[in-house]
Amino acid sequence: METLLPLAILLIVSLLLCASILIVTQLLGPKNPVPSRLESYECGIKPESGPHVPFKSSFYLIAVLFLLFDVEAAFFLPWALVYKESLAEGPALLWALLVYLGLMAVGLFYILQKKILRLN
Amino acid sequence: MKEAVFTFFSLFTLLTAAGVVLSRNVIYSAFNLVLCFFGLATLYLLWGATFISMVQILIYAGAIVVLFVFVVMLLNFEKPNERKTRLPIILLSSAGVWTFALILLRVLSKSVGEIPVLETTARASVRTVSKLLFSQYLWPFEVLTVFLLALIVGIFVLARPEGEEVK
Amino acid sequence: MTVLDFIIAGLKAIVILVAVIQVVPVMIYVERKVAALIQDRPGPNRVGPFGLLQPVADALKFLLKEDPIPLYTHRLLYTLAPFLSLIPACLVIAALPIADKAILFGKEITIQISDLDVSLIYVLAIGSLGVYGILFGGWASNNKYSLIGALRSASQMVSYELPLGLAAVGAVMVFGTFSLREMVLQQEGTLLGVLPNWGIFYQPIGFLIFLVASFAETNRLPFDLPESEAELVAGFHTEYGSMKFATFFMAEYMNLATMSGLMTVIYFGGWHLPWVTDAQLLELLGSQNLLCLIQVGTYIFKVSVFMFLYVLIRWTLPRFRFDQLLTLSWGSLIPIGLLNIVVSAILMYVLGGK
Repeated sequence: METLLPLAILLIVSLLLCASILIVTQLLGPKNPVPSRLESYECGIKPESGPHVPFKSSFYLIAVLFLLFDVEAAFFLPWALVYKESLAEGPALLWALLVYLGLMAVGLFYILQKKILRLN
Repeated sequence: MKEAVFTFFSLFTLLTAAGVVLSRNVIYSAFNLVLCFFGLATLYLLWGATFISMVQILIYAGAIVVLFVFVVMLLNFEKPNERKTRLPIILLSSAGVWTFALILLRVLSKSVGEIPVLETTARASVRTVSKLLFSQYLWPFEVLTVFLLALIVGIFVLARPEGEEVK
Repeated sequence: MTVLDFIIAGLKAIVILVAVIQVVPVMIYVERKVAALIQDRPGPNRVGPFGLLQPVADALKFLLKEDPIPLYTHRLLYTLAPFLSLIPACLVIAALPIADKAILFGKEITIQISDLDVSLIYVLAIGSLGVYGILFGGWASNNKYSLIGALRSASQMVSYELPLGLAAVGAVMVFGTFSLREMVLQQEGTLLGVLPNWGIFYQPIGFLIFLVASFAETNRLPFDLPESEAELVAGFHTEYGSMKFATFFMAEYMNLATMSGLMTVIYFGGWHLPWVTDAQLLELLGSQNLLCLIQVGTYIFKVSVFMFLYVLIRWTLPRFRFDQLLTLSWGSLIPIGLLNIVVSAILMYVLGGK
């Protein structure tokens, strides 16, 4: 509880900060909407179509790969926490790591060899 | 005090979860999902399960929803889906809901008598969890890694249309 | 829980938050002056002595500008997006241990907003939420450049979160804890009698990975592709004006301070002066509060060195191409990060313990 109370206060204070930024700009700033000012800015040329242009599917692959590797990396954290203590009881955790990391490295090697990340 | 905060964040989580389902625009669903996961993480934090709470934010709010938002951005769901819901979809989804409800009922009815146990596991330190993960649950953990590897390969096969060479 | 606890918690949160926000005007001034120095021009010199009041003028200008919401934007998300960047940036500073402790109101107060037992993961996790401000801001702006900038930025940030995490794993292995405060406490004294007992000497490769990844995480040059002005107008914040635009910058500079603080805490001994232990200093000064002031000063000095490094690099290096950027992360930093973990693990096993 001692650790959570300051966090809660920080959250409230930062929310208040955001609210005050919003309100102060609304109060202080002039309001003079000119139609041309409200158009989307694409180097002064009128946009011909909506903002949605086709993207390379690599962007999607990056997001999926990130998700998978993030899960794998998250498992490293508890492992790293107890590794130092476990050394007293022999190298069991070292073997666990090597097997785990070997599998992860195979996955990584597979991606790199597919050259999926080259976007041009 | 703590109960009040807990109730507040429970309501917050439930409301944002409802927002995920009820939003007409997919991107607002994703936005609500971030808030929902954040609320859930706060609940874990209030339980004292700090590690789970942080992993909840790191993986769910930080990675899974990013993937959702990417898909929404790439696929251009500009207009809300106006298509009428068909009967098979209704049947399938209600079957899913009922199965989930049954599982939930079973789990809840089993664990009601064991709430003290639940509390101690939730309060167990990060260290205890880690030690258990790498001793008692080592093999399931390694099997999970193989599963993740299979996923990586599977994604490439699925994401790339047949015969198209990626440059 | 007494009223005093509330007051202390509130004071800690507010004072540290306000102090970190002060980084923004200071950095604006330093950045402009250093840029001017490198490009051989005077830089801001009209507002106040040496142009020192320039950040104040900037802030006032931002506040007094019109705040239009362009047509066809998604108003709610467009308005919320800058704050989705700012709130995580405000929240992460809670985990940084700035100094050991002070004695105020007859109580020992740790100079850290919240001493969570998982503070390292807390920083990584909350930091990863910063990507939503950029993603939603770019999407809601109804502008091609914003959308492309947002997608690029998000791919970049997620790609570099992994090396950051892997570098952190190396540090966790050495210190055997997730708590940043305990990490700093372990870095007191000397290593082998000559070197300060700092994390960088245990994890040199981890530090380099962390440094490079932190540049990309904060979207700084040479990794500022999201706003590469030659290609994308201004990237994800093309359609933003007035204080909303400034809010994105506040978040960026605060993230910079957090990253510098994290490197100080994990790799450079946090509040510790090199070669001197806190006990020796306390004996010399005779007052815990005075010691605390010196610790805060040390911490601020170390953080400033990193911030200055960020500024110097911004004005000296050219920008990467986007595919180079991704290859650097997936093809070099992540494999090196994994290798670093294996080598550290084997070394720790061979050397027995540390």
